[in-house]
Amino acid sequence: MKLEWTKAPMGRRNFLKTATALGASAALPMGFAGQAMASEGSTLRVRSYGDMSTMDPAHSNGVFDEEIHASVYNKLIQYKPGSEWGWQLDAASMIEQADPTHINFALRDDIGFTNGHGAMTAEDVKFSFERIIADETESPNKPDMGSFSHVEVTGEREGTIVLNEPFAPLWSIALPYITGNIVSKAATEAAGGRIGTDPVAESGPYLRASWSPKEKTVLTRNPDWKGDAPAWDNIEILPIDDENTAEIAFEAGELDFTRVSLGSVERYRAGVPNGGTLLENPSLFYVWLGMNLDHPKLQNPLLRQAIQHAIDVPSILEAAYFGAVEPSTGIIAPGLAGHREAGKVAPAADFARAAELLAESGETNVTLTLDVLNKTTFTTTAQIIQATLAGIGITVEINVLESGAFWDSGNNENLQLVLNRFSMTPDPTYATAWFTTEQAGIWNWENFRNAEFDQLHADAARETDLAKRAEMYIRAQDLMEESGAYRFITHEATPVVHSSGIIPALRPDGLTLLRYFGKS
Amino acid sequence: MSKSRSELSIILRGVAKDPLGLIGLIIVGAIVISAIFAAWIVPYDPIGMNIPDRMQGPSWSHWLGTDNLGRDTLSRVIMGGQVALKVALPAVFGAMAIGLTLGMIAGYGPRWLDNLLMLFFDTLRSFPTVMFALAVVALVGPSLQTVVLVVMATSIPTYGRVARTQTLTLRNSEFILAERAMGASMVRILGVHMLPNIIGVLGVLAAMDVPTVIALEAGLSFLGLGVKPPTPSWGALLKDGYALIRQTPWLVVGGGLPIILATLGFTFLGESLRDVVDPKLRKNR
Repeated sequence: MKLEWTKAPMGRRNFLKTATALGASAALPMGFAGQAMASEGSTLRVRSYGDMSTMDPAHSNGVFDEEIHASVYNKLIQYKPGSEWGWQLDAASMIEQADPTHINFALRDDIGFTNGHGAMTAEDVKFSFERIIADETESPNKPDMGSFSHVEVTGEREGTIVLNEPFAPLWSIALPYITGNIVSKAATEAAGGRIGTDPVAESGPYLRASWSPKEKTVLTRNPDWKGDAPAWDNIEILPIDDENTAEIAFEAGELDFTRVSLGSVERYRAGVPNGGTLLENPSLFYVWLGMNLDHPKLQNPLLRQAIQHAIDVPSILEAAYFGAVEPSTGIIAPGLAGHREAGKVAPAADFARAAELLAESGETNVTLTLDVLNKTTFTTTAQIIQATLAGIGITVEINVLESGAFWDSGNNENLQLVLNRFSMTPDPTYATAWFTTEQAGIWNWENFRNAEFDQLHADAARETDLAKRAEMYIRAQDLMEESGAYRFITHEATPVVHSSGIIPALRPDGLTLLRYFGKS
Repeated sequence: MSKSRSELSIILRGVAKDPLGLIGLIIVGAIVISAIFAAWIVPYDPIGMNIPDRMQGPSWSHWLGTDNLGRDTLSRVIMGGQVALKVALPAVFGAMAIGLTLGMIAGYGPRWLDNLLMLFFDTLRSFPTVMFALAVVALVGPSLQTVVLVVMATSIPTYGRVARTQTLTLRNSEFILAERAMGASMVRILGVHMLPNIIGVLGVLAAMDVPTVIALEAGLSFLGLGVKPPTPSWGALLKDGYALIRQTPWLVVGGGLPIILATLGFTFLGESLRDVVDPKLRKNR
């Protein structure tokens, strides 16, 4: 029997008919396919919001690189998993602050680099840290090292970190985060001083087995690792930008762990599919409405205060953040030194007070623009602000901008109101750094200039007494709020879900510490 | 007057005889009527927020549910139709008017002018529409006028080229040569004798272009760069719906269905119109 293909009479008209019929049938309710768990054998599958970009800590682009670096390299100290910020020893067997500018350390004697590059020595530590601050390295992460000067090598595995002046964030950012990763001096020099997307030598509990760009990174157990054995033989890190997609993958059993959208928290609170668990972690990010103090329309402090009082933060959190986050009191999140228990302006709007302030200001027919990034969360927030300010007679026109135009707003003289969100590391100095006078027009879009604030920022970075430091940051945030240029909204949250087979190891802000992930 | 009325009725009857044409006519009619009377037929204020009632599913009080600000989705869909037509109609007819004028001048005028205008059309056509739109929006900011301007600018060459080709075909026709021999001015030849022979083709093209423009406006709004919030638009509904698809799929339905219907309706109508006004195609049917 001979089969012959015949040309189907699929003209444009027939195509449209067929497409319409198919579209209609696709709109009918469909059942969901059966779901299966992802954990098979000893492979942990986690989602990252971005793909790896480099294996060089000096050129790390942030969280999605650090997730991998922290698993294949060692640091003197690592963040401790849990709900409170702290650190624990990693490559260091001992580390102590000898005086405000000297930190002595000793390395463990059982850590070696792959590819025959020998045991980790104090020379490797010196090379790794000094490489970050060297001008020729052009590391974007150099600011994280603060006042770091150099490392004095006092023995094969002993040395002293020397600072130019006291630098409190050394313990919360420089050593346990991106810049703390120790690379092999011999291997890096043999590679010409640059590390690309392939590691030159690794030393952590995992090795990077493969990297398929935009697809996945596979980590595999390091057979020469002498420390506590990691729980998983392999870790697959899948870059998935979209949270809805990641949630579907998790529910289909293709992922063991993922961050989920705030909009899904309520649903997951009612039950996570496949016996999984929802963990709601606070975030360090901060979101606020800023007012450009240099703009002629915003010169009147009473008008700015009226705007502060008219914005109803609980409504914003309910509608734009699905009620899954708490209001913020400033730029420093709970859990960090300097967090304010309460702001000077309450989260809920006080329309009577706002109207009173507006009347006192003498301003009438106020029309302002509000610039926002083109994300649903921000446009929703902007619409609520627009509606609430309309309640006291202030007209707001929303300018939705794509990311390129938005992040270039620092030098926009016409900027009036702006809805902004900054990322954060676990040290308060990282928050205040962007609001100093020298940052005006760069990242300080409000053009907030305050000599006392600048001094507090500089002094607090040097202050090693935690209580005194906290007081300084509290005062700094008071000054910001008193300027009338800020209405603090939220620190957001980092909700994550994980399958029943794993015990996640997370920083207090919900970011992963993959090397410590366990099995249940 | 009565002649054009009878021509219109012949066209409408022709369209109505074609099942797809009739469907197109009904859909387009429904969209146009709902857009014109949107302010009277919306059940709720389309920008009025009611946060406690956010993300409701369909019910008797909210047929398409509510969005994340508690606004009635159906009301926003209806008002979104008005926005879509406010963009599509001026953009398409503006582009058609300019393209028609320039195309006829190019086709009837001297060679150097033809070359110059063709260079102008080719330059405009060389910009990818979406990229051009994004660049303009980045420069002047998003607004309804910006979208109209961008769409109009990028559509002019299409109409211009068709008008030019038609003019070139007609310029040596006997009736045109006779008019010229009698000393008729260029304006009279183009306006009185050529225009009626070209406008039909461009009208069909315009009908087919309307859904493209609606989709472009929706695309820009989907990127958050179309009309400004809180003005409802189908693209913005789709964007919000996509972000909230796991919480409430009804926003995607509310934003997507009208775009599909408008696309089908205008395409069916355009195809049917083409068949009716083109005698060759009419014979083959």
